[in-house]
Amino acid sequence: MSEAETTPGTGTTPNPDRSLRTGPGRLLVAVYAVFALAATARGTYQLVTRFDEAPLAYALSVFAGVVYLIAAVGLARAGRTSRVVALVSVSVEMAGVLVVGALSVFTSGIFPEDTVWSNFGGGYVFIPLVLPVLGLWWILKVHRSDRT
Amino acid sequence: MVDWLTMTIQMVSLAMAVWCLVSTFRDQPMLVPHLIGVGVLWLLVLGQVGAIIMAMVGGERPEEMVMLVSYLATIALIPPACAVWGFMERSKWGPAVIAFACLILPVLLVRIEQLWSPVV
Repeated sequence: MSEAETTPGTGTTPNPDRSLRTGPGRLLVAVYAVFALAATARGTYQLVTRFDEAPLAYALSVFAGVVYLIAAVGLARAGRTSRVVALVSVSVEMAGVLVVGALSVFTSGIFPEDTVWSNFGGGYVFIPLVLPVLGLWWILKVHRSDRT
Repeated sequence: MVDWLTMTIQMVSLAMAVWCLVSTFRDQPMLVPHLIGVGVLWLLVLGQVGAIIMAMVGGERPEEMVMLVSYLATIALIPPACAVWGFMERSKWGPAVIAFACLILPVLLVRIEQLWSPVV
């Protein structure tokens, strides 16, 4: 995971980071954008209207939405920094879906309301679980092909 | 809300999704027929959005108004957005984006239906 940071100066090629947002990357950006919108909009709406019911779960939804948004922007922008941004946010997302998923399955009661990450994303056909895996695979694949 | 229109949009959308997935596997970029398909889908969606807005102007109000309007805005924007994506990505991943958009559209319509007439 620390590969991105330890890269020696390979930024001499004409446009090294363009490839992150083309091809499959474009699909990833689209999916991340939709999830960013869905989670942030829904979470914000619930925080505003029903804060008392489950503030933690709704705040978590908003947080997940922001992470998706950062990942989408990181994947969509060309540049070495944005690749690190994408890598970090996708990793946070991976950790989030695993931790929140495990918590919601094994200790029911902490999250009275469903979030994107509850039950490992089961409410969203498990896309939240698959998405970070695909994201990490893509970022690392582009990263490797750049170095060779 | 026109029920048969919802059904039609869902059917057309799913058919589009299958077609675009086939194009993806055949390594085709977005072509004119895809674009026409997205256009037809958009017109149907706009028809439904228009019908709902007319009903709201006529006095019918769902409980979660803000939620419904944001969903309506989303479905109205999805077809043109995925077409723009298809223009930007001139490879097989263009149809892949359209296929994804056509898969979430039916789901959003189900949500709109629930918001419009909640089953008690």
